Amino acid sequence: MGAADFGAGGKQPRQKRGSLAPKRKKKKRIGFRIDMTPLVDITFLLLTFFMLATRLSQPQVMEMSIPPEVTEVEVKESELLTLYIRGDGKIFYALGQQEPKEIPLSELQPLVVRENVRTESRLITALKVSPKAPYGRVIDVLDELNLAEIEITAQLAAKNIERKRRFALVPISEEERVKIGDLPENGNAQ
Amino acid sequence: MPKIKKRRLGISIDMTPLVDITFLLLTFFMFTAKFKTEAESQQKFVIERPKSTADTSKIPDKDLAIIKIAIDTVAMDTSYYYEMVNPKDWQQVLASVKDLPEEMRTAVQLKVGLGLLEKLIRQTRIVNPRTRFAIDADRRIEYRWVEQLMDVMRRQHATVFNFVTDKEGG
Repeated sequence: MGAADFGAGGKQPRQKRGSLAPKRKKKKRIGFRIDMTPLVDITFLLLTFFMLATRLSQPQVMEMSIPPEVTEVEVKESELLTLYIRGDGKIFYALGQQEPKEIPLSELQPLVVRENVRTESRLITALKVSPKAPYGRVIDVLDELNLAEIEITAQLAAKNIERKRRFALVPISEEERVKIGDLPENGNAQ
Repeated sequence: MPKIKKRRLGISIDMTPLVDITFLLLTFFMFTAKFKTEAESQQKFVIERPKSTADTSKIPDKDLAIIKIAIDTVAMDTSYYYEMVNPKDWQQVLASVKDLPEEMRTAVQLKVGLGLLEKLIRQTRIVNPRTRFAIDADRRIEYRWVEQLMDVMRRQHATVFNFVTDKEGG
C-alpha cells in the first residue's frame, strides 16, 4: 500500500518532465532481471573456501590438578586402589598391598565403580605410570576414570552418600616397576 | 500436420532462493571460522592429540599459556614448546627473562628446555597470575616428558592445568 502511494507520488515529476520533452516516453520496468550467475559463482567459491578452512573439531581440555608438594599420607590398606601403566601400555591394578594384576582397559571402569561403591567413596585411587609408557595411554586411563565418576556419583547418590573424589598421580618406584615387569632385568624372569 | 516445436532459447532459472541459501551458509561459515594462529603456522610439527570421550570443557581462549610437547617431523626429536595466547603478556614475559638470545625475543613460540621453561612459567605467573596452563602433548611421546613437566609446574605452584585432547571420533 505504502509502496503504491509512493509510486503514484513518483509519477508527478515524471509528468512534468514529459511536458518538457514529450517524445521521450519511458516504459515502466516491470520485473526486470539481473543475471545472478557471477554472484552465485563468487558466493560458492567463498563458501567452499570457508567450509574447507574451518576446523570443525575444536580441541577440548581435561582438567588436572596436582598436589603442591609431595607429601606422605597414611592410607588404610583396604581403601587404596593402585593402577599401574607399564612401558608397553599394559594396565595393572592392585588393591592395598596385593600383587599387581593385569586388566584390560575395557574392564577398568566397572572395577573402579565397584570398588568405590564398596568402600562408600573412601577409596583413594593412585595412578602410577612408567616413564616409558605412551602419554596417550595415560589419557585413556584418565578418561575411563572420568567416565566411571558419573556412574559412581549416581550409585552413591542412591545411597545418600556424597561423592568426594580422591585421586592422585603418584611417581612410580623402582620396586613397583620390577613388580609389573617394566624394568628389563626382571622382564625375562616373569 | 505435426506441430513444430519451438526451440527454447535462453531459458533462465530464478536463482534468488539459491543465492539466499548460499549467502546464509556463507555468513555462517564466515562467523564460525577459526584460523590457525601465527605460532601454529610456523611450527614444524603436527600434534596427534590423545582422544577422550568424556564431555570435558572447551579450551579457554583468554589468558592461556600452552606448553606443547611434540615430535619434530623433520629432526624426529621430542621437545617442549612454549607459547602464550595473550600477545601483551607474552612480550612482558619475554622481556623479563634475562640471557635470552636476541632472535628469540621476537618469536611467537619458543622451543625450550626444562630450565628455560621453568623461568618462563615463573615469569608468566608473575606477569599474569590468572594465566591458565594447557599441556598439549602428542599421544606417542613417553610419559616421562609429562612427568618432568609436572615436576616443574609443581615447583612453580602452577598446580592446576589442562590436558588438551581431541574428541573421540571427531
